[in-house]
Amino acid sequence: MIAYAWLVPAIPLVAYLLLLALGRRVHEGVAAAIGVLATLISLVLSLMIFVDVAQGGGQLPYLWTWLTFGPGPGHTWQAGFEVNSLNALMLVVVSFVSTLVLLFSRGYMHGDPRFGVFYQYLLLFVFSMLGLVISPNFLQLYVFWELVGLCSYLLVGFWYEKPEAAAAAKKSFVVTRLGDVGLLAGIILLYLATGSFDYDDIARAIQTGGLQIHWIGPQGLATLGALLVFLGAAGKSAQFPLHVWLPDAMEGPTPVSALIHAATMVAAGVYLVARSFALFDASPVALDVVAYIGGITAILGAAIGLTQRDIKRVIAYSTISQLGYMMMGLGVAAYSAAVFHLFTHAFFKALLFLAAGSVIHAVDTQDLGRMGGLWRRMPVTASTFLFGALALSGVPPFAGFWSKDEILASTLAAGRPLLFALGMVAAFFTAFYIFRVFFLTFTGRYRGDRVPRESGWVMTLPLVLLALMALGAGWAGAPFTGYALERFLGEPSGASEAGAGPGVMAISTAVSLLGIGLAWLMYGERATSPEAWSRSLWPLYRLSFHKFYFDELYQAVIVRPAFALGKAFDWVDRRIIDGIVRLAAEATLAVASGVRRIQTGQVQTYGLITLLGIVALIAVSWSLLWGVRS
Amino acid sequence: MAPIGSFLALAAILFCIGLYGALTKRNIIIVLLSIELMLNAANLNLIAFSRLGVSANVAGQVFGLFSMTVAAAEVAVGLAILIALYRNRNSTDVRDMNLMKW
Amino acid sequence: MNAVSSWFGGFIWTGQTVAFFLLAVLVVLAAVTLLQFRKVMHMALSIGLVFLGMAGMYVLLGADFLAFAQILIYAGAITILMLFAIMLTRHDEVEEEERAGFRQWIAGLGAAALGAVMLWAIRTTAWPPASAQPPWPAQKSVNALAETLFTGYVVPFELVSVLLTVALVGAVILARKEE
Repeated sequence: MIAYAWLVPAIPLVAYLLLLALGRRVHEGVAAAIGVLATLISLVLSLMIFVDVAQGGGQLPYLWTWLTFGPGPGHTWQAGFEVNSLNALMLVVVSFVSTLVLLFSRGYMHGDPRFGVFYQYLLLFVFSMLGLVISPNFLQLYVFWELVGLCSYLLVGFWYEKPEAAAAAKKSFVVTRLGDVGLLAGIILLYLATGSFDYDDIARAIQTGGLQIHWIGPQGLATLGALLVFLGAAGKSAQFPLHVWLPDAMEGPTPVSALIHAATMVAAGVYLVARSFALFDASPVALDVVAYIGGITAILGAAIGLTQRDIKRVIAYSTISQLGYMMMGLGVAAYSAAVFHLFTHAFFKALLFLAAGSVIHAVDTQDLGRMGGLWRRMPVTASTFLFGALALSGVPPFAGFWSKDEILASTLAAGRPLLFALGMVAAFFTAFYIFRVFFLTFTGRYRGDRVPRESGWVMTLPLVLLALMALGAGWAGAPFTGYALERFLGEPSGASEAGAGPGVMAISTAVSLLGIGLAWLMYGERATSPEAWSRSLWPLYRLSFHKFYFDELYQAVIVRPAFALGKAFDWVDRRIIDGIVRLAAEATLAVASGVRRIQTGQVQTYGLITLLGIVALIAVSWSLLWGVRS
Repeated sequence: MAPIGSFLALAAILFCIGLYGALTKRNIIIVLLSIELMLNAANLNLIAFSRLGVSANVAGQVFGLFSMTVAAAEVAVGLAILIALYRNRNSTDVRDMNLMKW
Repeated sequence: MNAVSSWFGGFIWTGQTVAFFLLAVLVVLAAVTLLQFRKVMHMALSIGLVFLGMAGMYVLLGADFLAFAQILIYAGAITILMLFAIMLTRHDEVEEEERAGFRQWIAGLGAAALGAVMLWAIRTTAWPPASAQPPWPAQKSVNALAETLFTGYVVPFELVSVLLTVALVGAVILARKEE
């Protein structure tokens, strides 16, 4: 079955091409049926591959020669696919969430004039993401990496007639491009050092000391390569300081946010770091950078999420924060804990987004201030959202609890109490902000003006399935199943794991419950006024509400100077370069307008001049001949 | 028999007269006539060479015949153009035929 | 006369040379008067005279068939065609009295220079002596012409007939009134 793993991305691609051929006027049901069917087949295949891998372990990559441009091993590029435990797991996650999101979109996007196009883009994304996951080398990964970036751009800007959406699409593309440049540089650097793009070849080169370039030592090279790769991962996974694009990307349709900006694409950065873990493992500096960037991102995202008023933005900042957790886990060499968190997060974050989408679909606003009291009107949405919120907060026995605790325990085990503290505070914030959203949305009095109704089955069925996963997915790595997932993933060399002891579990549960309790007091019971808190803590409140002024900072430090530079170049181009061109044109024109008067249109004049010319020619040639003769 | 130089000299004189006429006359019909004069001069050369040239043979006459035929065709087409022009511009003055001017 | 004879390279006075001389004078005179006439009609008539003189030259050169063709095509068809064209346009048109302008002077000088160069070239070239016998059997120039034309030159001959047809059609289309 593993030999047919290429079918997993190929089927969505075929579906995409089919929809492309059918055009944009295709019936909604047909488009949705094709999309869901294709991803469903991919899901079944992925599950079969997963089972095979679980029984047989990892497989050698299936490769064929893509390009040969010289003799020797460094001059042949290969393409192909490989399946190991990590990407078998990723295949299942991606295809599972994709299937549910495509089903959900049938209801959410109903009536959109570009419904078919939406499904085309989604299928193209699913293809790209699955292709990214099974790529056996950096070069192929980079191709798919850019493809998912393109799909993200297209889908964020799907409602491009909204200026915010168009701007957000542009921003997401440009910011991730910053990281991608680093990734590309890193790939080139590693290729120069090892002559191969292959993850396994590079890992082998690191172990045998074959990683070297004359101008940099092996240690420095590993650090530089790892940091460049991490730059790409940070751009894609919205890590500080490249996190600014993800909240804006919420301008896209909500299913897109669930699929791309929660479960799959943004996790690609984490996946990349995990996949090339051998490289990071070779450089303690790079690991530290990853760990601290992850920690800062975790607390930063959570702190901004506390005060946002847009339901999707809260969840987006939550995503940033959770991705920070994963990076932090990888940074302290807790490989399988990070992947485990990626796995559980994909389900409960997709669930939260889809539930939020269901709410937005019903009340037609994203403003938390215009929701409330939806528990009774939308019971399925509300209870599934509650499952997601509990999983995110890390309340046992929900999924997030097991994976988050494992990461937190690993930070302690790695001897980084600062990271542990950051993680704990972020966990407190997390529990608070997600329940703030929950109470504001589902309890109290309805403050909107549109009568909300529960969504249809195409939207609630994915919610229910994801809610079950949000409850149960964590058990795969829980102590009482003997850490099955961790054993399945295996440990790459250098990774250090620590199962969460009862102490950590108790503390984190207490912290989560504390956050939930505070949210309940403020927004559920209204025992204490949130306005009073924000007034008394106004500097912090303003800092959080304005997202720590990152956008303003980038505007002032990067965007404005870039514009000024562009204006300067524009001036040079217009005035000097164009001036030279225009001078040449004007000079030609001036000469021509004088010379053209020779053209009288009188044939006889032309004939006369020809005659004179002939006489002159004869005279000259004759005199020359005369000179030769005599 | 008159030497070949005589015929060639006559042809050259005729050619130059025709050339002067073609370059100076204002009536387009006369310009055409002058061109015919030049063609005839060239024809005389061909036939003189066919009788008195270095390798005299009858092929010169054949070429003379062809050039005559071509001249006839040229006159026919030239006069047709002239009539079309006259219909459009109501003039036979070459100086009015200056559509190709700047 | 000696000067002239030496100019033209051993001019021997025979019946043929006398005929050549008279015809040459006629042709040059007709050509010059052609340029001197004011009335377009007179010009057309004087070029007919030039054509006739040229036919006489052809007879002198033993090209009997071409002499007849010259009379038929040039003196007959082309001159008449010209007359028709003159009638169809403005047959009473008179070439305007002109002062000898700059252009006339330049053109005259240029033409004279060209003529001088050509005459000088003719004069300085060593031509073969004029043979009394034509290069084809005496009295059979038409036969010789026909033989050459319909053996070696049959393809160009056919092409010329195509050219005539094309010219005919083209002339009709050009001269036709536009709808």
